[in-house]
Amino acid sequence: MEQPLAARNHQCALTRRMSHLTLNRLSKRYGETVAVADVSLSVARGESVALLGPSGCGKTTTLRMIAGLIQPSAGAIEVLGVDVTQVPAHRRNMGYVFQSYALFPHMSVAANVGFGLDERGVGRSERDRRVAAALSQVRLEGLSARKPRELSGGQQQRVALARALVIEPDVLLLDESLSNLDARLRDAMRLEIRDLQRSLGITTLFVTHDQTEALTLCDRIAVMHAGRVEQIADPVTIYERPASRFVAEFVGRSVVLPVERSEAGLVLGGRPVRTAHPVPESRALELFLRPQRIALAGPETEAGAHNRLGGVVRSHVFVGDRLEVLVDTQAGRVTVETSGAGAVAQPGDAVSLIWSPSDTLVFARAAP
Amino acid sequence: MSGRQREQPLRGRLTGLALIAPALVLLGAIYLWPMLGLGRMAFNETGSTGAMAPALSLATFRSLFEDPFTLETTWNSVWLSFVATLLALVLAYPLALFLHRTQSRFRSLLTVLAVAPMLVSGVVRVFGWLALLGDRGLINAALMGSGLTAQPTRLVYNYFGVTLGLAESLMPYMILALLAGFGRLDRACEEAAATLGAPPWRVFLRVTLPLTVPAIVLGFLLCFVLAMSAYITPKLLGGGRVFLLATEIFDHAITNANWPAAAALALYTLVLVLLLVAAYAALTRRAEA
Repeated sequence: MEQPLAARNHQCALTRRMSHLTLNRLSKRYGETVAVADVSLSVARGESVALLGPSGCGKTTTLRMIAGLIQPSAGAIEVLGVDVTQVPAHRRNMGYVFQSYALFPHMSVAANVGFGLDERGVGRSERDRRVAAALSQVRLEGLSARKPRELSGGQQQRVALARALVIEPDVLLLDESLSNLDARLRDAMRLEIRDLQRSLGITTLFVTHDQTEALTLCDRIAVMHAGRVEQIADPVTIYERPASRFVAEFVGRSVVLPVERSEAGLVLGGRPVRTAHPVPESRALELFLRPQRIALAGPETEAGAHNRLGGVVRSHVFVGDRLEVLVDTQAGRVTVETSGAGAVAQPGDAVSLIWSPSDTLVFARAAP
Repeated sequence: MSGRQREQPLRGRLTGLALIAPALVLLGAIYLWPMLGLGRMAFNETGSTGAMAPALSLATFRSLFEDPFTLETTWNSVWLSFVATLLALVLAYPLALFLHRTQSRFRSLLTVLAVAPMLVSGVVRVFGWLALLGDRGLINAALMGSGLTAQPTRLVYNYFGVTLGLAESLMPYMILALLAGFGRLDRACEEAAATLGAPPWRVFLRVTLPLTVPAIVLGFLLCFVLAMSAYITPKLLGGGRVFLLATEIFDHAITNANWPAAAALALYTLVLVLLLVAAYAALTRRAEA
């Protein structure tokens, strides 16, 4: 595995500044229905990008178009500057890991992994060597003679990964690859895939509806909604500076409060409130806060340059790794997340909620 | 408590028995009883006048096995059934695959159309073939009209015509059997093969075909048995020139009025088919393991 990859890295050095995978206004329509609309994306060599969104947002359709399994209605796909939009799937050299793994049930693990090498006319001894290397890469040595049905879900996932990697694909495409595993295994596989992806330096596109997967695995995230890309950015920016109301709601937990516009500025629960970010033109506005960015303080605390909102603690919810404090304010009920350590305001206590203008995001209110 | 636990399986078994009882009674009355009667009849004797006399004699079986014609008829039946079933498989497979895959909203309608020939009497379909293949049929008229042939080509009243007609009559059963067995075929596996670099024909050979082997095994078995027992098509399209087990049984019973001979040949055919099916099952099971 090492040698050809090194050779490929050298070859790619010439094109390093060029985008490795480019989607140019990619669209897919089914009759009247628009599945994917004008998706443009540029992925650098070795970069991993997540397509994150709820089911039906067009992320899997986009991935299938990249693999050549679906023909786009419009737009272009380029790999290393070469337009592959019209190239059939079997000549694209994309490693695709299916949600169901799609292992060949009639073939052994070794035959599954070797399938792509057979199709490339790789000789028997070379093939066996690379299959063994790929299986050891995913820590499945000794299982090569098994049939897929004799493996656990996690092992099947590894076979699918090895099968996609052994052909040394230009791009690795993973379609909800972790969603069929139980929570503990998913965490372990997530780290394993990330390490493998980084050490191989392979350009990777993940499709997922799981924000944790996207935030932990990827260099950048493209949040998709209704066939469009709402925002493309690194995980921190996606989380801290969501570009739209949808992104703010979909990624992470939010406190959403109605906010009014007055001549002096924004008004929340009868008090002025500041934001460090642009405010949309719309008349009906909503304020978004991350619950763990709100500090609980005594009722008479001076907020200074920060925003302050008074309220009364209503109840506590213990969630294990954190304590959620529900506070009734004039602007509505607010959930504050605390570590639960130290003295916590008790139900009935008057408190101040304090947060920074840079953590204050304002979006147009969603249509009712 | 342990008493109740022991009761449960017994009650379950009784319920099961009660549920299949009507079917068992019906099968016993219309299948098993006549079969026993047939078995008994095969040991009767036929007098010089042709009248049947009750007896316990192996004479009928002896003459059946001594007659070289029996072996010839057996070979004809097995070979013709094999070829017709194979032909039906080759013709039905692409059709069934299309019906399995299509996203068309006419899918159910197309499926009904594909098996619609079953709704038409076998006799009517045979006359359809005669209109096509006969000496004055459509094909010969076209061949002679265009000057390609001077004499009519013999397309019917021979083994070719019977094989063709039989294959056609088997196709609906083959399509249904294949459709039932295509459940294991996963589109994602075929797509995976494509992303791994397999062109469409390689995907078919390495993934689609192996995954549909159970369906093929099932369809082949069903249609072979149907072909072995087919009577109307060989009788009418064979025109007395095609000699098969099923037509011989009929001739013995009706034309020759030799009931013991017909019964013996029927039993022989039954055992032959059972043996072939058992051999086939053993063979496919070994191939699967």
